Amino acid sequence: MSAVNVAISEDAMEAVLAKPALRDEGARLGFRLTLPAQILVLFIALFPLLMQLYISLTDWSPLSGFGWWSAWSLWNSFANYTDLAADARFWSALKRTAIVMIICVPAEFLLGLALATLFADEFPGKRIFYSILLMPMMVVPAVAGYMFFMLFQSGGPVNDILSAISGMPVTIAWLSDPTLALIAVMVADIWQWTPLMFLILLAGLVGVPEDQIKAATLLGANPWQRFVTIVLPKMKTIIIIALAIRVIENFKIFDTLYIMTGGGPGVATETISVYIYKVTTQDLIWGYVAAIALTILIVLSIAAVFAMKRMARAREMPV
Amino acid sequence: MSTIHLQNLVKKFGDFTALKTMDLAIADGEFMALLGPSGCGKSTTMNMIAGMEEPTSGKILFGDRDMAGVPMGRRGVGFVFQNYAIFTHMSVRQNLAYGPKMRGAAKAEIDRRVGTIAEMLQLTPLLDRKADRLSVNILQRVAIGRSTIMEPAIFLLDEPLSNVDAAFRAVMRTELKQLQRQFRQTMVYVTHDQLEAMTMADRIAVMDHGILQQVGTPLEVYNDPANVFVARFIGAPGMNLLKGRPAESDRGLVIDLGPLGATPPLPAGIADTVRRARGEVFYGFRPEQVTLVESGSGLSMPVSFVERIGARTIVHLGEGETAVKAVFENDVGLAIGQTAVIAPAEPSVRVFDAAAGRAMRAG
Repeated sequence: MSAVNVAISEDAMEAVLAKPALRDEGARLGFRLTLPAQILVLFIALFPLLMQLYISLTDWSPLSGFGWWSAWSLWNSFANYTDLAADARFWSALKRTAIVMIICVPAEFLLGLALATLFADEFPGKRIFYSILLMPMMVVPAVAGYMFFMLFQSGGPVNDILSAISGMPVTIAWLSDPTLALIAVMVADIWQWTPLMFLILLAGLVGVPEDQIKAATLLGANPWQRFVTIVLPKMKTIIIIALAIRVIENFKIFDTLYIMTGGGPGVATETISVYIYKVTTQDLIWGYVAAIALTILIVLSIAAVFAMKRMARAREMPV
Repeated sequence: MSTIHLQNLVKKFGDFTALKTMDLAIADGEFMALLGPSGCGKSTTMNMIAGMEEPTSGKILFGDRDMAGVPMGRRGVGFVFQNYAIFTHMSVRQNLAYGPKMRGAAKAEIDRRVGTIAEMLQLTPLLDRKADRLSVNILQRVAIGRSTIMEPAIFLLDEPLSNVDAAFRAVMRTELKQLQRQFRQTMVYVTHDQLEAMTMADRIAVMDHGILQQVGTPLEVYNDPANVFVARFIGAPGMNLLKGRPAESDRGLVIDLGPLGATPPLPAGIADTVRRARGEVFYGFRPEQVTLVESGSGLSMPVSFVERIGARTIVHLGEGETAVKAVFENDVGLAIGQTAVIAPAEPSVRVFDAAAGRAMRAG
């Protein structure tokens, strides 16, 4: 009897002793299994980042006649970064990008929210309108760019419609006027990305507990009060997510815009992405490009960290 | 405070008729329970009183005011939702202050009223707590307080205890009843739990399939069910109903239950009614009103199952059409397979018209 007991406890002891070894074994296996993914991450994230940092500290370009790994021979310390600080075209591109963002994202948000509010209720033909509404999002940005390029021609449909409304021939050269071109570009962005905002906000809106809305109604809150005191606070997290997605995406605005205006007339619609593209393909000063891109990345990352912190705080408050 | 009159109330959802017709008068300060199985139309009725749904036809009067077209925020109705619908993103204080704030009351006035209500509901120490991590009975009090602060004439409660575990439900029942005494509002309480209805309500409106079956005090509904549905629905277990034909015997009118033999003679008053009506009847009696008797003087039935639940013993007798339950205070020592002879206490015997399902009453 006691012998059996001893045997069992010995087994148990062995199991306990084996545990740390087992854990090590598990860790080793885990490491081996995730190794391919780790290498992949290393190559698609860390390696280019370090490469970028390296190049950004040199005057290297593809025309230098040797590979980037030898770029140290053209080492210029922080000259690219000091140049950047004094680059008026960079700052104006950055300012323009900010203006586009400050106008487009709130416009998309408000339109999306209004549409989501509309679509939270039932109405005849809802499904069809819903499908139509989501279509812009599915259009390839390059196609959308060409579409708006055609729409905004001086003999194009936009002017035709304006002529019909005003009763006199309108021949505005939308894409040749610095201000109007910027407006046209923003219209295209709002057209294409409001649906995404709408979709995210609608998901948030239908998640607002109906009972609480009814309770607020019974307590005498009017629709606007209900919206401000119940619906918006409940949607806080999803609103922050939607805005974060669009702010980050909008900052990188490029394809539609480039096809519509190429950044022109002059530099009137040149955003940061267009500027980087031009410096890369036309000026071919890649060391400088790397410096710009890295600066932007750092700025965006800092913004993202702030947004995430805010989001985490909002999420602590359950719906 | 206010009376509620429902007149020929009908509600249809497309082809589906949720409420066939409903006439009900609820007195000022009364606690009325709407009781019935799910899908009986009780919640629909409640939602129409609150103004969440418009009746297809018929009228709802508060006092003598017709509520047709009065939006739900303007009816002066307090509503406690099944899950309480507390605003979880606010504090208890903000929840309580919500109504007056939306109506644009002054800050000082709101503070005063919140203070009074919180004191009354013992919520004062919890006022600045977030409303998302409160226990159910606190949630119930916040929900009641949030409505009470608007001083509604009418209070509607939609199965507020259905998400609460059984032990706690008794506590909350008591609390709710005390609150009603305190506030003296007209209360309409929707529930599918007869225990809640019986213990709290002044009167119970029993509903089934969109039709009001019976209105009465808990004891009226229990003792004198208007029809077969109410007889079976009220009571745990419900009333025993045995089908049979009236037959004359030398001791008076009895019900011939076929293979079970004849019942003891019916009381004189009801016997006359049954005699006049002829036709098949249900012979009904409460399981709690049964005694064991000598063979020959009662219904002789085999014991099919015995449930001993401590204070009481439920004995299942017979099976199928002739199944009967009997509840005894003590363990009567019956075992499965034995034969028991039972006799219902005469005052508890009720007879129902088998074809129409209605109770047959003396006189």
